[in-house]
Amino acid sequence: MRGWYGSRTLASVLLCRQPPPSGAGAAAAAAHRRSPGAAARRHASDRQTGQGQPQAFDPALLELLVCPLSKKPLRYEASTNELINKELGIAYPIIDGIPNMIPQAARMIDRKAQDEEPKQT
Amino acid sequence: MAASIGAVVCRALHSRRHGKFLSIGRGLFSGARCLVAEGETHFGFQTVSETEKGEKVYHVFESVAKKYDIMNDSMSLGIHRLWKDILLHQMNPYPGTQLLDVAGGTGDIAFRFINYVRSQWEHQIRQKLKSHQNLSWQEISKSYQEEELKLPGGSQVVVCDINKEMLKVGKQKAQHLGYSEGLSWVVGNAEELPFNDSKFDVYTIAFGIRNVTHIDQALQEAYRVLKPGGRFLCLEFSQVNNPLFSRLYDLYSFQVIPVLGEIIAGDWKSYQYLVESIRHFPAQEEFKAMIEDAGFLKVEYRNLTSGIVAIHSGFKL
Repeated sequence: MRGWYGSRTLASVLLCRQPPPSGAGAAAAAAHRRSPGAAARRHASDRQTGQGQPQAFDPALLELLVCPLSKKPLRYEASTNELINKELGIAYPIIDGIPNMIPQAARMIDRKAQDEEPKQT
Repeated sequence: MAASIGAVVCRALHSRRHGKFLSIGRGLFSGARCLVAEGETHFGFQTVSETEKGEKVYHVFESVAKKYDIMNDSMSLGIHRLWKDILLHQMNPYPGTQLLDVAGGTGDIAFRFINYVRSQWEHQIRQKLKSHQNLSWQEISKSYQEEELKLPGGSQVVVCDINKEMLKVGKQKAQHLGYSEGLSWVVGNAEELPFNDSKFDVYTIAFGIRNVTHIDQALQEAYRVLKPGGRFLCLEFSQVNNPLFSRLYDLYSFQVIPVLGEIIAGDWKSYQYLVESIRHFPAQEEFKAMIEDAGFLKVEYRNLTSGIVAIHSGFKL
């Protein structure tokens, strides 16, 4: 029993270390190297290959998430790595693979304003 | 005013003059559930506006995030682990449960949930193997494989917290401990959850609800996102019922915990806030009434460690 448990834990750890299948393996390798040039490049595209998640953002979460204000479904925008609510014209950022669903953190799409500082009430 | 007395008291203790000043301060504050004006609320023993409370709480947890787990262990002498284990046992999730852990920050409840569901699954497999001795080798190996790719039965846990720093710590812990599948992290406000109605089987909030500015809104959101038949579970500090123990607990809270906070996390004020916020949180019966107001039925509570913490449970029926 203990051996089996051990091998299962080992397997799950190994699974975590697997490079993402979507072909962003190079990006992941670059992330590990942490060179400043790569950092700038990574910032623009979806840089988040959290080890447990095959893509930058887990699409399963997309089925669950809605806009906290209107409770309407969101669209994932890969280029800016944001979740868009077209109706209200706002975009929620995804940082480190974690979507930030606080309304104050959202960006207005129309005016292309800077991200507001996430001030929590 | 209250804040400046508190500050004097803190400085007094800093200069190692034992207990005397602190006990005077505590005398002024004990049982201080003072009334506040409209639009105002408590931040520990201070009275602040509602917007301020949210910001202050955010800063508290931002500052303690990295040392949160160590502090929990030192302050509660490791007992918080038992409390959380008991919460999981009361929840008794089966494989396939969808859990929303609000204010779940560093992931303690989420990881326990995953372990519990996995061990339930192993138990089921073992039972199956015992009764069906003639399973083919392919079937057996398939059941092992399924386990590794995702959580048994399609269980899922979403950890939601208002504070990015706490979630970051939690995510790192998850990677370190090897939890990956069936686990998601979301920054969100308990008063305005970014989830649709009737999505989750269980909603938990452990040591988080006393930091929420509008507790009733958080309870209503909990009701909204739970499926019919879903369960609400809240693990939170509460009022001690035994008067002698209560004295000892007060002594420990006000004398020892902020000092530990300063030594271990370098943050006296946050832990002063912690012990004060516990005193302000409604007692067991009052909180039970608030949960019932949100629409939950069969609301019960269970005291742990003489009422230092209580688990409140309710169902959406």
